[in-house]
Amino acid sequence: MESANSMTQRVEYDDHVVRAFTLATTIWGAVGLLLGVIIATQLSFWQANLDTSWLQFGRLRPLHTNGAIFAWVGNMIFAGVYYSTQRLLKARMASDLLSWIHFWGWQLIIVAAAITLPMGLTQGKEYAELIWPIDIAVVVVWVVFAINFFWTLARRNERNLYVALWFYIATIVTVAVLYIVNNLQLPTSWTHSYSIFMGVQDALVQWWYGHNAVAFFLTTPVLGIMYYFLPKAAERPVYSYRLSIVHFWTLVFIYIWAGPHHLLNTALPDWAQTLGMVFSVMLWAPSWGGMLNGLLTLRGAWDKLRTDPVIKFFAVAVTFYGMATFEGPLLAIKSVNALGHYTDWIIGHVHAGTLGWNGFMTAGLLYWLVPRLWGTKLHSKRLADAHFWIGTFGILLYVSSMWISGVSQGLFWQALDAEGFLKFPDFIEGLTASHFMYQMRLVGGIAYLSGYLMLMFNVFATIRAGSPQKVTIEVAALPPTGLSFWRLIFSGPVLVSALVIGAPILLGISGVITGIVALVLLEVLVIGLVLHYGSRREERSWHDMIEAHPLAFTVLVLVAILIGGMVEIIPTVVATKDAPVQAMADTGNYDFVQRPYSPLELEGRDIYVSEGCYVCHSQMIRPFRHETLRYGEYSRLAEFIYDTPFQWGSKRTGPDLHRVGGKYANVWHYLHLNDARSTSPGSNMPRYNHLSREHVDFSHTRTKMQALRKLGVPYTNDDCEAAETTALSQAQLVIDDLSTQDVVLDPNSKMTALIAYLQRLGRGPQPIAPSLEELSQAGGH
Amino acid sequence: MSEYKQDQVREHSFDGIQEFDNRLPNWWLWILYGSIVFAVGYWVVFETLGAVPGPNGRYALEMEAAMEAQLARMAGGGPRNESLNLMASMPEKVAEGRALFETYCVVCHADQAQGNVGPNLTDSYWIHGGQPIEIYHTVTEGVPEKGMAAWGRQLGPTRVQKVVSYVISLRNTNVAGKDPQGELYQMTVDEENAADELNSEDAGESATK
Repeated sequence: MESANSMTQRVEYDDHVVRAFTLATTIWGAVGLLLGVIIATQLSFWQANLDTSWLQFGRLRPLHTNGAIFAWVGNMIFAGVYYSTQRLLKARMASDLLSWIHFWGWQLIIVAAAITLPMGLTQGKEYAELIWPIDIAVVVVWVVFAINFFWTLARRNERNLYVALWFYIATIVTVAVLYIVNNLQLPTSWTHSYSIFMGVQDALVQWWYGHNAVAFFLTTPVLGIMYYFLPKAAERPVYSYRLSIVHFWTLVFIYIWAGPHHLLNTALPDWAQTLGMVFSVMLWAPSWGGMLNGLLTLRGAWDKLRTDPVIKFFAVAVTFYGMATFEGPLLAIKSVNALGHYTDWIIGHVHAGTLGWNGFMTAGLLYWLVPRLWGTKLHSKRLADAHFWIGTFGILLYVSSMWISGVSQGLFWQALDAEGFLKFPDFIEGLTASHFMYQMRLVGGIAYLSGYLMLMFNVFATIRAGSPQKVTIEVAALPPTGLSFWRLIFSGPVLVSALVIGAPILLGISGVITGIVALVLLEVLVIGLVLHYGSRREERSWHDMIEAHPLAFTVLVLVAILIGGMVEIIPTVVATKDAPVQAMADTGNYDFVQRPYSPLELEGRDIYVSEGCYVCHSQMIRPFRHETLRYGEYSRLAEFIYDTPFQWGSKRTGPDLHRVGGKYANVWHYLHLNDARSTSPGSNMPRYNHLSREHVDFSHTRTKMQALRKLGVPYTNDDCEAAETTALSQAQLVIDDLSTQDVVLDPNSKMTALIAYLQRLGRGPQPIAPSLEELSQAGGH
Repeated sequence: MSEYKQDQVREHSFDGIQEFDNRLPNWWLWILYGSIVFAVGYWVVFETLGAVPGPNGRYALEMEAAMEAQLARMAGGGPRNESLNLMASMPEKVAEGRALFETYCVVCHADQAQGNVGPNLTDSYWIHGGQPIEIYHTVTEGVPEKGMAAWGRQLGPTRVQKVVSYVISLRNTNVAGKDPQGELYQMTVDEENAADELNSEDAGESATK
């Protein structure tokens, strides 16, 4: 940068890093989609995992979701953010070094994920599977991005922040908070750790994160990108500035509360479920605000819909956004969720969002951006058109087949006969009924991938025809804004919002009397301040001023997103493990209080996590007659107090396992894990025969138990020291039983540990040594 | 503030992007306010007042209704030795029972009921009692310590009775398999007659085919 004269300076944008992110998203997109096609094939034809442990569904599905979210959409967001931020601020990114650390750091994280997840190294929490060393790398890279971004804001040559930047700020701040809190964990080795939260706490924190990964990674940054690139491509003004303000703040504030809608009708306390539901319903309008501002900006540019592939992709992407954000609140209604939860309907819902909204926004962005970054025209408009049509066909086929199979699964599961008993007692009936739809979904996925390959070809052909462009502008220096941080924060709008938000919260949390007293005090305070500030005529609106003060803006965003999380999470986490136990004691019913796992069961549980069983099996029986008929007593809060990570699951491709313990003989589990078709004809479960060959390292169990002890599991020091002996003694019982059925298994084998864990599920501790009776019998022989 | 006009461009533009400041569509505002009113109302009804039962409360009601219905059916008498024997003499019921057996039971009792993990069901020896009603209870409640699942919930009483009728029809057919376990059970004259009748029908059918 050099000064042209005292008043203006020359700025050269750093588009080099934008080009790098553009290429990264183009390539990772194909990888993420291909993984999707592979695992969709496995659901129809289980043999497609080639009987190889690291290609099995439970390991590849996390790689697919992480790849699509963080590699594909992630790199797309960064390309869009780096390109638009510099132009909206008339400033080069503050540090090229930080930009490149961000770029290469992120790509290394993706590669590390692609290596570790197929190896079965995972935390076992959805979209947060990456093991702790990679988590630390993610946080470091994200902080680097944040520093670079906010530093650039500080050096901007534009007084106010445009709406796209508001969304970027919300993204950067919120993702950091979510990622750090949900990944708080205690390592037991370089590749293994336990979440510091257990049972219901872990479930709540995980879905606060999981839902907001969708909100603040797949939605807010992409809305920001929409606000920059859509009016650019349409060459039309944004429809409404005031709509931007209203939908931005309502979206950011309300989104964070909606997480518990992933846990409706579970053991999560009722009040948290209700909050999750009603906030999801309230999310409908704020989401549609974004859709409206996108679609209505296209007024007067609809003719371009016929000629410009970019506009086509943007228009359909925004429409899918509207569809998915209507479906979301609908699915978050408890009674609708009772039908849709655990079924393919949810899979259809998320793919409408990812393939439709994120995928088509990415396509529109690339078709617009690549020709500009490389100073040429798009290689082929007709190919882009073909991509558009085959992609749209693919999404529609995918989503509608998942709707059909999802709703039929829900109906299959809950159907009762005239006598009030299960009409379809065999779980497999719902799965076999879905086979055709699974194949249709696969066709849809392949169509979408084919379209994407056309995009790849088009992008690379365009790049070959052009050459990297340098963009420089002359800007006038920005005079100081002269705004006071404290006056912006303690201002009428903020205090009125505090009242509107604080009042219901106070009423909800405290008793009626204290609530009303607190309310009155708060109200007096706020009215006083509003009168004070209201009496002064401001020349500029408050929002106009806050847009010129990034720090104040960021602080308010942070406050807005923290409220929901704190109200929901703090009471759940502060309520210690004793609370559910105490509740049981009050009713004199201890049946549902969990006792710690034995060393062997603990190792078995880690194998369950590592193999990704939670991807297809839930451990959460909901309080519905059809569920308790099928699976047994519904799951209680106190039954999970030592479960870290929680394994409630979110999808039932296979049946619930919470009370599978004791339901079948050991040999049934052995046969089933070896080849599920031998016990459940028609099953699409992978073969886990490799577990008989692989071994557990019991010398490490002690460390794991000691880590859990630190987290509050009541193991004694002696328990930890005796871990290996206890584990082997219990394993002996399992293999002795199996040997009566002519099954020979090694006591160290993973299979033994997993069977011991499965047999423990939903009931109390199992024998860890032969009983006296058995010993005397053995002695008698 | 100047007067509101539709499609009036704001003064400042960002990198060439202009903004209108149009009013929010009324229908959109109705959704926004409507959903907030709904949320507050729902909270008050379900949480503050507890006027409507939540998931667990609803479950209790659902179960109560189902049990009432069950009770009404049981007023006519639940399964007894006699009713199960009667069922075992009805070929359609036995065939339905066989189909259920093949889905749920063969993993442990083997395809001919000759026993695998579970005992041989075709001999004359019974671990938990060979009377029809005893077999009915074993299937319904299971024997968890021996790995026999309780099927009553999942299959419901009617299906269990059909399976039992099939099992009854197998008694003393002595398919080669697992060695006998448990106590010898002597069939009553009625039971023997019923079995003979069914088997002779079977024989008759297969002879005509």
